[in-house]
Amino acid sequence: MAAQSADARNRAARKRKLAWRTFVYLVLILYAAINVYPIIWMALNSFKTNAEFSRNPFGLPKTFHLDNYRIAWETARLEVYFFNSLFVAVAAVILTVLFGALAAFVFARFPFKWGNGVYWYFVLGMLIPIHATLVPMFIQERELGLLNTYAGIILPYIAFNLPVTVFILTSFMKSFSKDIEESAVMDGCGVFRVFWKIILPMSGPALATVVILNFINNWNEFSFALVLINEESLKTLPLGLANFSGQFTTNYGAQMAGLTLAILPVIIIYLFLEKYVVKGMTAGAVKG
Amino acid sequence: MHLYTRSKGPFLAALAPAVIVYTLFAIIPIFVSFYYSLVEWNGFTDMKFVGLANFAEAFGDKIFWHSFVNNLYVVAASVFGQVPIALFFALLLNRKLKGSKFFRTVGFLPVVISTVVVSLVWGMIFNVRRGLINQLLSAVGLEELRQNWLGDPKLAMIAVCITIIWQFIGLYLIIFLAALQNIPGEIDDAARIDGATGLKQTIHITLPMIRDTLVVAVILCISGSLRTFDLIYVMTSGGPGHATEVLATYMFDKTFSSTRYGYGSAISVCIFFFSLALIGLSNLLLRRRAF
Repeated sequence: MAAQSADARNRAARKRKLAWRTFVYLVLILYAAINVYPIIWMALNSFKTNAEFSRNPFGLPKTFHLDNYRIAWETARLEVYFFNSLFVAVAAVILTVLFGALAAFVFARFPFKWGNGVYWYFVLGMLIPIHATLVPMFIQERELGLLNTYAGIILPYIAFNLPVTVFILTSFMKSFSKDIEESAVMDGCGVFRVFWKIILPMSGPALATVVILNFINNWNEFSFALVLINEESLKTLPLGLANFSGQFTTNYGAQMAGLTLAILPVIIIYLFLEKYVVKGMTAGAVKG
Repeated sequence: MHLYTRSKGPFLAALAPAVIVYTLFAIIPIFVSFYYSLVEWNGFTDMKFVGLANFAEAFGDKIFWHSFVNNLYVVAASVFGQVPIALFFALLLNRKLKGSKFFRTVGFLPVVISTVVVSLVWGMIFNVRRGLINQLLSAVGLEELRQNWLGDPKLAMIAVCITIIWQFIGLYLIIFLAALQNIPGEIDDAARIDGATGLKQTIHITLPMIRDTLVVAVILCISGSLRTFDLIYVMTSGGPGHATEVLATYMFDKTFSSTRYGYGSAISVCIFFFSLALIGLSNLLLRRRAF
């Protein structure tokens, strides 16, 4: 008797557990759908003609027709925007990470009197709202002749990404042991040699994180580009896309094709390097 | 460590590039904008020093306050939309669950996409004629619920807030998950032995354990929301009318369309201080309140 009722209770518990599991999965699937469906909707419809899009807005395209991509590519000068975005993002990443790593190296390894003060001078920069600097930046760059130049956009990107870069790299460099450098210094290795040969290689994971964080920030940046770049041939992808959509409000297909192309690199980076992307972007947000 | 103390030269050289670029392109502009906020200037002719007149004008400017209120809507949408939803899903995912990695990956996806793309895609989703939402409503026979989401001043702000919530839930989801995974297993075990399970355990044990993270998240929401610019600029440019105007878009409009650099700078300075004040205030309130 007793055994039987225990059995029944067990079965009921298992049933309840199963019901709960099912519920959890349903909720999670709904969440996942809401997250990706807008992107899938866009990608699928980028392969449809306008007529097909009106008739069949939700389903798969009948044929994957690439006309929209051709139109987007030709009329929107996407190749120009792509090149500019890539160039600006990569140049800014290299310089930011190089400058940031050098500074972090000093903060992590060289206990000088005002070192801590300079460190906080950088880190507090994360509080600066960039929109408060748009006007003076515009004027300053006009005076310096930097408007509508690559340098004019790369320099603010470096400046505004340095705080988080310095922050992440310094805490990483502080964490690893000093034994190896110590013996290198004993052997007469100079400061910059130690930096290149020992500190940088050992900072691998943190460097990967900041490189990706910087790249995504720069690739996606809009406000500075909007204010500092006017010339069509220098526009970056977000800026170009914003304009392009203004012109093509009726041609949904071409618009969606352009947008799909634009997010592809970031999604690929994300899917392959998720760990670093997530780490970088949450560290960039939380800031300790 | 006195390993490197022989000479300071190399260290100063190592520090110099970062300090110079950062000072010239991040710090100086902030101070310059304080100065510009005190002048009347169209960007070309001579500046006229007007003291606090720009601020006085801003505080009497209806659209300024309207933009500020919209900023507060965005703050509210983030704090009461993003944070609870993200917390809910973080709690669901913080257990042994097949496929939880997939849900995390998908959850964070919107965060990595450029805000410009997000606003353009959602702009299409909310489109009157061919947008996803109206088409869905038609497809399920709710034709009469179709709306001009971005064209109706009453609805535009709601549409904008939905987009903002969608964009950043994933960020908080990951932040909360990281915090939840830091809770030592013994605490859960102890709670279970004491009879706290399910909801009780969540409310009395888990949430207090990640309190600091919740505070950080709320502060992030506030500071991020006050800076909202790209999304609204691209989606609605503050319209229709000024229905979705926020401080940053209003500042942009005043500066670069009306070429009133002084007035625009005064609004920037207000953004700067509002965000400091709100962050300070929320910090104070949240650290005191017990869950």
